[in-house]
Amino acid sequence: MKGRGGYRLAGLLLSVLVAWPVAAQDWRWQLPSHVPEPRVPADNPMSAAKVELGRRLFYDPRLSATGNRSCSSCHLQERAFSDSRALSVGGTGELTHRNAPGLANSAWNATYNWAAPAIVSLERQMEVPLFGDDPIEMGVNDGNRQQILARLAADPLYPPLFRQAFADQPQPLNMASVIRAISAFERSIVSVDSRYDRYLQGREPLSDSEQRGMALFFGERAECHHCHGSFNFNDQVVHARSRVVDTPFHNTGLYNIDGAGGFPFPNRGLYESTGKAEDMGAFRAPSLRNVEVTGPYMHDGSLATLEAVIDFYSEGGRLIASGPQQGDGHLNRYKSGLIARIDFTAQEKRDLLAFLKALTDDSLLHDPRWQDPWKRRP
Amino acid sequence: MGYLTSGLALIALASLAGCAAKEPVPAAEQAVTVDFALVAGAQPVNCGQPFGPLGRDRKRLALHDARFYVQDVALIDTAGQRVPLRLDINDWQDAQVALLDFEDGSGHCAGGTPGINTQVSGQVPPGHYRGLSLTLGVPEALNHSSTELQGAPLDLAAMGWSWQAGRKFIKLEVDPVGGVTKADGAKASTWYLHLGATGCSGNPVTGETVACQRANRIPLTLPDFDPGRQRVVLDLAALFQDSTLGQDRGAALGCMSGPSDPECVTLFARLGLDLNSGLPLQPGQSPAFAARAKP
Repeated sequence: MKGRGGYRLAGLLLSVLVAWPVAAQDWRWQLPSHVPEPRVPADNPMSAAKVELGRRLFYDPRLSATGNRSCSSCHLQERAFSDSRALSVGGTGELTHRNAPGLANSAWNATYNWAAPAIVSLERQMEVPLFGDDPIEMGVNDGNRQQILARLAADPLYPPLFRQAFADQPQPLNMASVIRAISAFERSIVSVDSRYDRYLQGREPLSDSEQRGMALFFGERAECHHCHGSFNFNDQVVHARSRVVDTPFHNTGLYNIDGAGGFPFPNRGLYESTGKAEDMGAFRAPSLRNVEVTGPYMHDGSLATLEAVIDFYSEGGRLIASGPQQGDGHLNRYKSGLIARIDFTAQEKRDLLAFLKALTDDSLLHDPRWQDPWKRRP
Repeated sequence: MGYLTSGLALIALASLAGCAAKEPVPAAEQAVTVDFALVAGAQPVNCGQPFGPLGRDRKRLALHDARFYVQDVALIDTAGQRVPLRLDINDWQDAQVALLDFEDGSGHCAGGTPGINTQVSGQVPPGHYRGLSLTLGVPEALNHSSTELQGAPLDLAAMGWSWQAGRKFIKLEVDPVGGVTKADGAKASTWYLHLGATGCSGNPVTGETVACQRANRIPLTLPDFDPGRQRVVLDLAALFQDSTLGQDRGAALGCMSGPSDPECVTLFARLGLDLNSGLPLQPGQSPAFAARAKP
């Protein structure tokens, strides 16, 4: 109980430190010159108080219907906010349909989830895990929403934090504020201090192998950069000064059920939304930052290791020889034209792997700003 | 022949009862209430009693959920003009959209909301009316608002459709006796109809969802409709006429508006929608909806 009182006190001190009124101007992005400031929704400006509230909520299982799941259950800091499982487990034990993505630099995503062109803000994305019932993740619904908010209101720490974060609202402790605060916290999770970033800034050299891997990555033989070429190593980026944003989705030849191009339901990518044949199996290219720790890989976690991913791209697709998903992905008729057999040598695979590991940002994995605040001891 | 004239005249008369002796002053507006019902042929449908048998496979069913939104509610006057109903504002309707809710959270409907709503109410200018028109759906400008920011009746998480950053226009779920057998042989308990706009995409620059490929809204015109004596029914016997409710041949369980979902192929025709375009097959007509005499 002593520890509990201790961090209540810490919370009180924090309240004083970020005393009302908290202006949006108290937020500063600290970014290297090769990274643009992210777009922040006009109705949810960043502030230190809001990010701190969002961090509390992100790590708080009281936000789930069953009290046993928080955002952090599937988004672990030491895994760059992914969860090391192929599919994640929701509050009632159901598995998610797709692999939990890492959250670092999600502020710059143009779309969210694996193939959801309708979802273009973190705020709207959060409705999926919060309210979704296929599968249930956090399990919030019309019947328990008020009860869950009452749980939060009963903790003396929360009401002042909500008031500070949403000073313009008479009744700030509501689910919209929860969503906005967690979104602000997610936006604050920025990863731009990998060895690669420091190399770009002339602060640290890359090894010979890493440099050979980098040349392959950005070269026209491996062609990784076509889909992973932005500062965030993906190809859907929006930032504060964006005027036009492309949102490409790609079929990489992971499946070809019955030779007809099919992917298994409900993981048919953009096709699930558009119903257009050419969108079959088309998914968003994820950021490769911290990819060393975000396995298993692909939208369904069906490739266990980074080595397997490199083998997959080297071969230009995946053959599934038997079973219900049988089919030769190399020959998928909807496969992206950018995916072809490359036939990397063993040395090239090692070099590419070395470069991908240079994208790991150790500070992301350990920075106290993003740690579980409920675990902190005074 | 204006069916509505008599009913509305009665309402107008009632409102003037206090000054019956004086010269009648034309009322600025007339109150109109349109009743809705969920039925299976002649049977009422609610969370309490199983109903049916329905569908090609003649399944007995228990109701699991039944709610839908209507927009653009209008009366049709004797000249054939649509006159918008100015909706009363309450927990079931805002100025543009009303929620009809036939589940009360009991029985197989557990997890729903306790209240039900079977009426749309509003005002029209005095006149002679003979028909009704409305659209099953939520207006585009409101469809992509957040359930957590929008007021009633668009504040229900259950009617949210987060994968399209929109809403379910119709949420109709039934539990067939004996369950639903999926294509892979597995069993499930519930057959779902979730109708909503699909193929929606947002603009990452503004952070707003802006356009959908398939509107999937159902305009309904009942040219001869007397709200005093008739009600609008969603007839599940007509809706499920060509469906096989004990079986699912692929994609979502039942029909969640997927353009290639085999269950949607039969069901969309009964809703009066073209599955590929999301447009009405015959504007104003939906085999599942009809005007019926009040009991």
